[in-house]
Amino acid sequence: MRSRSRFQALPVSYAAPLTDAPPATGRIPGSKAMWVGIFCEVTEFALMFAVYFIARAHHPEVFRAGPERLSLLAGTGYTLMLLTSGWCVARALHAMRAGRQKASLRWLLGAFVFGLGYPVIKLIEVRWNLAHGLNGDAGVFIVTYYYLTFNHLIHVFWGLLGMIWVMLRTGTGSYSADEHSGLEAFACYWHATDIIWLMIFPLFYVLR
Amino acid sequence: MTEIRKLDLAWLGLVALSVIGATLGGRPDTGFGVTVLVALVMGIKVRIVCDRFLELPTARRGIRLAMHGFCYGMPVLVILTSAFGDTLARLTGALI
Repeated sequence: MRSRSRFQALPVSYAAPLTDAPPATGRIPGSKAMWVGIFCEVTEFALMFAVYFIARAHHPEVFRAGPERLSLLAGTGYTLMLLTSGWCVARALHAMRAGRQKASLRWLLGAFVFGLGYPVIKLIEVRWNLAHGLNGDAGVFIVTYYYLTFNHLIHVFWGLLGMIWVMLRTGTGSYSADEHSGLEAFACYWHATDIIWLMIFPLFYVLR
Repeated sequence: MTEIRKLDLAWLGLVALSVIGATLGGRPDTGFGVTVLVALVMGIKVRIVCDRFLELPTARRGIRLAMHGFCYGMPVLVILTSAFGDTLARLTGALI
């Protein structure tokens, strides 16, 4: 189902000042297909979180000592990068609703730069981990950590590819204040990926 | 307050909560109270992203309920696993 702006009958110049209101309620943000994908993602991670909780229940001492072995700075860095990238995507969507395509593209570029910070930090962290002996033989906590965080990294990669796509579409004027369901669907995916990270971060870097 | 202003404040709040969360991670004590605090911070952050970024309050009821179930289920599970870890280990003993 396509996202329909309430301002579709208005010229952009009239629509812009009115768009600072939330969209109508009871809708499907983005598209139905994207929400099927998001629920598949949520189900996948729910199963992985179940593995985490069961492993934690069986090895409480190992999991309590686990966060000390990881870099809290890296964990906080991922969180800040993803949150800032998500904020930029939300601003891009607001700009598009106001009919400001160029501003929307600028916000998307910002989101991409901050989003790229995630794999860059991951690269640095993995090198740091390996230098400290945190490889696949480093115990159940580290194995669970790699299992969940690498899966999340794959989802971030999908998101970054999606972001390139929506930037191209925005740059070529394919979206407008009236029709931008593709951009909104991407935004939903990116925020869902963000939500999953907000759960992974305390489980591995904070909780003792 | 405009929607954009709310969005910017939400982002600032999330950054602040992330720093608080990281501070909790640096603490040496491992009490149950800290676990509840960590779960609470997780729940608040997820709620802000759902409401402000994902615009879940405007979504259909089914989407809203499913996402809220996942988002609030996790902090609750964190607390339950911490409080009843032994029971969970006994119940899932056959799996490991």
